[in-house]
Amino acid sequence: MKRILSGILCGALITGLFGGCGGETGNVGANAVGTAKNESAADTAEEETQPKGEAQVIRIWHDGDEAIMETIAEEVNSILEDDMVSVQFEKKTGLTDQLQLYGTDEVNGPDMYFYAHDSLGTFAELGILAPITDLITEKDEGYLLPMTVEAGTYQGIQYMLPVYYETLLFIYNQDLWEGEIPDTTDGLYDYMTAHTDTEAGTYAVLNQHSTAYNVAPFINGFGGYIINENAKPGLNDAATIEAITYNQKFAALQADGDYNTINTLFLEQKAAAIIGGPWLISGINEAGIRYGIKSLSEFTLPNGEKLAPYSGIQGVGVLKYAAENKKDAVSKVLLALCDESVGVALAQKANCAPANQQSYADTDVVDNEMIMAMRETAETAQPMPNIPEMSVMWGPTESLLAAVNKSGEDVQTAAETYQKEAETAIADMH
Amino acid sequence: MKKKKVRRIFGIAFLNLAFMILCFVGLLPILYALLLSVSEGASALSSSLFAASRGFTLENYRSILVEEPFLRWLFNSVILSVGTMVVAMACSVVAAYAFSRYRFCGRMQALRGLLVLNAFPQILTMFAVFRLFRTLHLLDSRAGLIFVYAGSMCIFSILNLKGYFDTIPVEIEEASKIDGATELQLLWKIILPLARPAIIVTAVMVLIYVWNEYLFATTFVLNESSYTLAGGLYQLQANDYSRSWPLFSAAAILVSVPILVIFFVVQKHMVSGLTAGGVKG
Amino acid sequence: MRSKRKAAPWLHMIPAFLLIGAIIIFPIVYTAYISFTNMNLFHWDDYSFIGLNNYVRALFKVDTGFLSAIGVTLIWTVLNMGIQVALAFFIALGLNARGLKLARFYKTLLMFPWAMPAYVSILLWKVGIYNSEFGLANKLLGLFGIDKINYLSRNVPAFISCMVLNLWMALPFMIMTFDGALQSIDKSYYESAKMDGAGFWVSTLKITVPGVRPVMTPAVIMTTFTTFKQFDIIYLLTQQKGSLSGATLQTVITYAHQNAFVSNNYGLSAAVSMIIFVLIIAFSLFMNRGLKEEA
Repeated sequence: MKRILSGILCGALITGLFGGCGGETGNVGANAVGTAKNESAADTAEEETQPKGEAQVIRIWHDGDEAIMETIAEEVNSILEDDMVSVQFEKKTGLTDQLQLYGTDEVNGPDMYFYAHDSLGTFAELGILAPITDLITEKDEGYLLPMTVEAGTYQGIQYMLPVYYETLLFIYNQDLWEGEIPDTTDGLYDYMTAHTDTEAGTYAVLNQHSTAYNVAPFINGFGGYIINENAKPGLNDAATIEAITYNQKFAALQADGDYNTINTLFLEQKAAAIIGGPWLISGINEAGIRYGIKSLSEFTLPNGEKLAPYSGIQGVGVLKYAAENKKDAVSKVLLALCDESVGVALAQKANCAPANQQSYADTDVVDNEMIMAMRETAETAQPMPNIPEMSVMWGPTESLLAAVNKSGEDVQTAAETYQKEAETAIADMH
Repeated sequence: MKKKKVRRIFGIAFLNLAFMILCFVGLLPILYALLLSVSEGASALSSSLFAASRGFTLENYRSILVEEPFLRWLFNSVILSVGTMVVAMACSVVAAYAFSRYRFCGRMQALRGLLVLNAFPQILTMFAVFRLFRTLHLLDSRAGLIFVYAGSMCIFSILNLKGYFDTIPVEIEEASKIDGATELQLLWKIILPLARPAIIVTAVMVLIYVWNEYLFATTFVLNESSYTLAGGLYQLQANDYSRSWPLFSAAAILVSVPILVIFFVVQKHMVSGLTAGGVKG
Repeated sequence: MRSKRKAAPWLHMIPAFLLIGAIIIFPIVYTAYISFTNMNLFHWDDYSFIGLNNYVRALFKVDTGFLSAIGVTLIWTVLNMGIQVALAFFIALGLNARGLKLARFYKTLLMFPWAMPAYVSILLWKVGIYNSEFGLANKLLGLFGIDKINYLSRNVPAFISCMVLNLWMALPFMIMTFDGALQSIDKSYYESAKMDGAGFWVSTLKITVPGVRPVMTPAVIMTTFTTFKQFDIIYLLTQQKGSLSGATLQTVITYAHQNAFVSNNYGLSAAVSMIIFVLIIAFSLFMNRGLKEEA
């Protein structure tokens, strides 16, 4: 008891004293920040000739590909050149956690963030986001694909402006694949059994077989679900179990299913095909592989349905304080992001499928095999759920997949176990 | 007599052999990384055992040094680790001395309390540190990070140093005390030189902690140009590096080299002043 | 004069205690405060006190999963520490053998694993050593014609793999501390022991072990706690989001992380943190005998 008391006393004393010297150290910190800012201003001045006066910089946090962000920044900044507004992307690993800390911190936090839509509900519930429709009108967004806008909407309010979307694709090595690409998943499996030699380390089709996002095409195709719109987990749903059981035999022929492993196998030409997203393409090009692409919605499951991957919609959200204090600048950035030229640039440079339908008028976009495959997939694809409960579903779902595919557990019992875990996790949120 | 000598030579030879094997086995993962880091090819990993068969290149090192703000991060790491070392050591040497030399009421309780506090995983309270620092405007500042690091390593340093101070005979001080030396002089002139190995081990430990820490470094620092090496690489590995294994290996080697140099430099000072008076071996 | 003498030790400690108070104690107190509120995703700014509610819920988590996590943690700590201390002791003895000219060189090499940031080492091992397709471990097995092994997909091999990695990462510090401790022993003791005809084992037991004990005790105890609360290794090797390995190894900390922290319920996870803190206090009372000084 004495110790606890002295501990608390110490704490009180220390906070007092610490507050006292906080002023001084605060100055040091402010200086450091000041110089850093000067330097970064100098950096940008070197890179591009700034228009008269100082442009208002809108800071956007992201946790994605630097090249993609650069493309967006370039395009937006050139549109906004005369408006004295510019955007600056800053990479933040673990963005969802970081936004929880900094989402109400106007001094240190960002003005906007750029991320996939599946964590939208989390941010919206935190109350850190401003509705997009407060800043731009519906007319401004008229050309956006309805599916993408819907993905950016949580509980009837649109919090995210979609910029591009991505889905999983079937990517194959034209020099390794023998014959035609089958049109059914059973055909795919037959090809895999005939062309896989795990001992020699050569594979036919690879997939991250224990990653929820990569198994979702099967789960959705079988009519199962990871979580439904009522926040009910569906891991022990009969259709989900059927899908996981079906995926199991594929998994046995797909190495350990780790992102790095299967990606490298494909790049080293030890695998004829991989189920992956557009983010793999730059590596594939570097490796000099002649690749071909097929939409996952062109594969038919035994039940007659098509594979139905999740689609991930990438876009920006606006932090509340930025919407209040920098309304004009933020609105201008949003308008610029709606411009079809952003979508075209993204398509040309990074194989991203634009959310803006007008971008598809561009010949480069229409000729891009990958983007058109994603557009086609989007017909059957389901946007990932964006309710906050989704954020706790990845863990149990992947535990279930790993237990079945890697540790050889019984599907039925594992499904019950992890369904329960998911239910507890959701209950724990409240 | 001769037999004994032969035995000793054999003993040393055996020890050398044992250490060579030990070093080789211990360094195997690093050698492997080294091999990868100088091998050609953009792909992440190699499925052939000896990746070097693909040709030698320093391209990975070049691209880290040139394309990433490596030198800037290195500079930040140096500033932070040296700053933390000074603050943490200054605080803990004095406190450890008091724990070792004074017998006062509450001493054992305080020591036990420190031990328990040190056992608490800091990651669990990071949110609270964040709130405190936000209130004090210490986020995104070097001073703030130095405080966090020094505070995190303070208990460890105190306990580690205290153990060593205890082995120094009090008689040596008593003699100087009679000569009229003040307490600070005693500490500076007598204890510190005698406790050199412990001081060095502890200081290096603090240094390494800061050098390798990435959680606070990425959470409390917002500007890419103020990242530390560990923090910067942590941000990078999330995308770029996990796609290019050779690049990641090269970065891993580069981060470790400065610490290794310090080890090597510091080692010849590791011999304690305590043994100086004894019979030379 | 007298009171000044009494205050002296505390005066020495002011700077250290200020630091510790701000960085260690205050956050714990604050976490305790949060643990009595309903701060979560849905009550981010408008949280209120809900009494012991979170503790009641947290204690419901003390199920079989949690109990087995405690068991795993204890086995993990004991095995790691036992092997670590024994190995480090003999390696340090070897390094201090008379006539070993290359000792400094070996020492530097042996320190290498310590010089690497923890997550870098872990990723290095995960991809470079344990990966079933490209890892060095399987490649070496392949040289002898042995089939590929998946090191991380089942609990026992995963535990051993994590332990090997932990030893690799932790040994350098132990070796260095033992080395420093060995330096603190007056060499004249050995001379006189030799005169008395004592052999290697006798002088090791009678001189070296008692000699290094005071220096090693705090270091060993602190490392024990570090091992106890080790999170990164098990998490990054087997549970990293997007690349679960299949093993379901859980220590107290990973269990708490998986069950309380992913849910973004700060009140609940703060309560779990406080319970862990109580566990640590219990653990340290158990360990307390070790801290008793040989004064």
